[in-house]
Amino acid sequence: MAFLDNSGDIILDAVLTDTGRMRMASGDGSFRIAKFALGDDEIDYELYDKNNASGSAFYDLNILRTPILEAFTNNASSMNSKLLTIPRTNLLFLPIIKLNEANAATTGRNQSAAQAKGSFIVAANMLTAEEVQVGIQGMMLGQAAGDENQPHIQCDQGLDTSEISPIQPLDAELTETQYSVEIDNRFGRIVNLAGQPAPGPAFIDDDNIANYYITTANPTLVKLIDDPVPVGEGRTSTIRGPRGTSIKFRIASSTDIASGNFLFTKFGNTGQSFTKADGVGVATVSTLDTTVRVTGLTTGYRVDIPVRFIRKE
Amino acid sequence: MATSTYKTIANDDVTNTRTLLHEAIPLTGTIVSGTYYVESSNTQTNIKRYAHGMFESVYDYPYLSSSANHIFDVTVGYSNRSHLSSSANNTNSEKIQIYNEMAQVLVGYDQTGSIRRFDQDGNFADGGTKLDEVFFLNYARLLTKDEIKKGSYTIQLFPSGTVTGSADGTWSPTTFGDYGAADSYKTNSPAGEYGLVRRGNSTGQIFGLVYYQAGVVALSASIFAGAPGFGPRGGLGSGDNPFPGVDACITGSTITSSCEGFRNRWEDNNFNNTTELNSTIYFCRAEHNEFNYSSNPTYVTASKIRVKNQALDQPVSYVTTIGLYSQNNELLAVAKLSEPNKKTATNEITYRVRLDY
Repeated sequence: MAFLDNSGDIILDAVLTDTGRMRMASGDGSFRIAKFALGDDEIDYELYDKNNASGSAFYDLNILRTPILEAFTNNASSMNSKLLTIPRTNLLFLPIIKLNEANAATTGRNQSAAQAKGSFIVAANMLTAEEVQVGIQGMMLGQAAGDENQPHIQCDQGLDTSEISPIQPLDAELTETQYSVEIDNRFGRIVNLAGQPAPGPAFIDDDNIANYYITTANPTLVKLIDDPVPVGEGRTSTIRGPRGTSIKFRIASSTDIASGNFLFTKFGNTGQSFTKADGVGVATVSTLDTTVRVTGLTTGYRVDIPVRFIRKE
Repeated sequence: MATSTYKTIANDDVTNTRTLLHEAIPLTGTIVSGTYYVESSNTQTNIKRYAHGMFESVYDYPYLSSSANHIFDVTVGYSNRSHLSSSANNTNSEKIQIYNEMAQVLVGYDQTGSIRRFDQDGNFADGGTKLDEVFFLNYARLLTKDEIKKGSYTIQLFPSGTVTGSADGTWSPTTFGDYGAADSYKTNSPAGEYGLVRRGNSTGQIFGLVYYQAGVVALSASIFAGAPGFGPRGGLGSGDNPFPGVDACITGSTITSSCEGFRNRWEDNNFNNTTELNSTIYFCRAEHNEFNYSSNPTYVTASKIRVKNQALDQPVSYVTTIGLYSQNNELLAVAKLSEPNKKTATNEITYRVRLDY
């Protein structure tokens, strides 16, 4: 008689993350495990060979032999991609979150190698903005109010496929209604396009990463994309298929960034040449590169957005 | 059921356990008194001595190295009611101070507030024999962890003969241990539980006490009553055992010299330590219709799921990591699998994730 298969019940030893240790040390009851998620950071699904001639047993041979790393204790380094619970099993498409750069003047990243190619820019204070001149592509004013026509960050969510018309609505169960936006709290904070602060942050972890939860309850930040126009017909969304919601925000510079060079010296570079908006003049600035992460809390999809803070020296 | 990446852990999915872990700790005489002896300077590089001279520390490697671990301290003292106590003795007050300090912590006080003396059998009511001249072995927390395992403590010493004879095999060591203490031990100490250290077996003569939680062993100097000589090494060209017996060494030399004499008669020492692990186990249940898709960027190409040819194909995902989160979605703990675990709509998996404290 064969042995019973006990592979369905597995004991695993967990390690506390640095945030977990911080919460435990605080002694205020904030260390309470309330939920779990499953992750697959190491998996490359491109290795899934669904056309293997030998049959379905051979589809995932390469995936199953993927070596697994030990646990990272840095909370930001683990669980970057999570498994997703969707009751339906007959889905062929899943939504993604995509940076919308359709309008280069307002939502596009900077494209000048002499400035900050591939990044958004945040001018630390008004003196910096005046020095490098307003009008630089992708440059947000870290200490000023703004509007829809000023540079900002916009991420759209939906099915980025041309196989389904954007006229089709996105299923409600696949539509993001809440986003998490993470930014280093020492450098900046999230504001809406008018410059009013976003609610939160919900928490700031041990590495000073502030986590903002932004939902459709804040229509100045998140709202449904009302743009069922196909590609090439004047659309404003870069999602090619059915669309869900869009999140728009700006970044305000922190007081430390606006008023001093300490953080630039510690984490960035000083004495950098920066071509002004007129394309002729050159300013000397300090720069500091960071990443803002936008994660859909419903679908778990995330986008990392490069941001460069600059400050006139 | 809504689309989600997190699943709430219900109260029924959490349980607590307590586990005792034991490690075997061997401390051979070569570490305690042989390996790191430098004859030209008559010093041992793994023995740390202090200007105050109240005890000496034994390391497992020359203590000036960052690789060295402190393994125990050794000291000696006697009661002011001991027959050895005399103001004419070498460092008499220090030895009384050591005895009283250890007695305060390990034995406590009587009803009048006076410090109790170490009692041979732990029965203070019957008066009985007291241990008035005692060598103390204070083991480092690194070795004993939460406590010494009861019934596991043995120490082999050379209670008689010369050190030279011990080294060349002329004399055999005698084993002392807390025989039978796994089932019978004392609880009337302010420092926790303790057992009786006997010679040879569970009915042998009592020569000391082992305090399990404190990690301290008190051994009567009378163990060495039959030794014709006792004391530190004499150095290059000198003989060993410069004092005619243990009493003469304790009264006529410093604490550290007496401790060196003790170490020179050390053959072996073994015990098991105990670590008490309190664990919380979280049952993370992935039902058949949960966690079958992934937000991994490689899971889709142009939003199309890679692991499917058509919509009716079963979704499949692979688990490598389990994250435990706070209500605010802060990642508090992480557990990793040793290999990817396939999750489909046709299977259910329960991961038992253990968090130790």
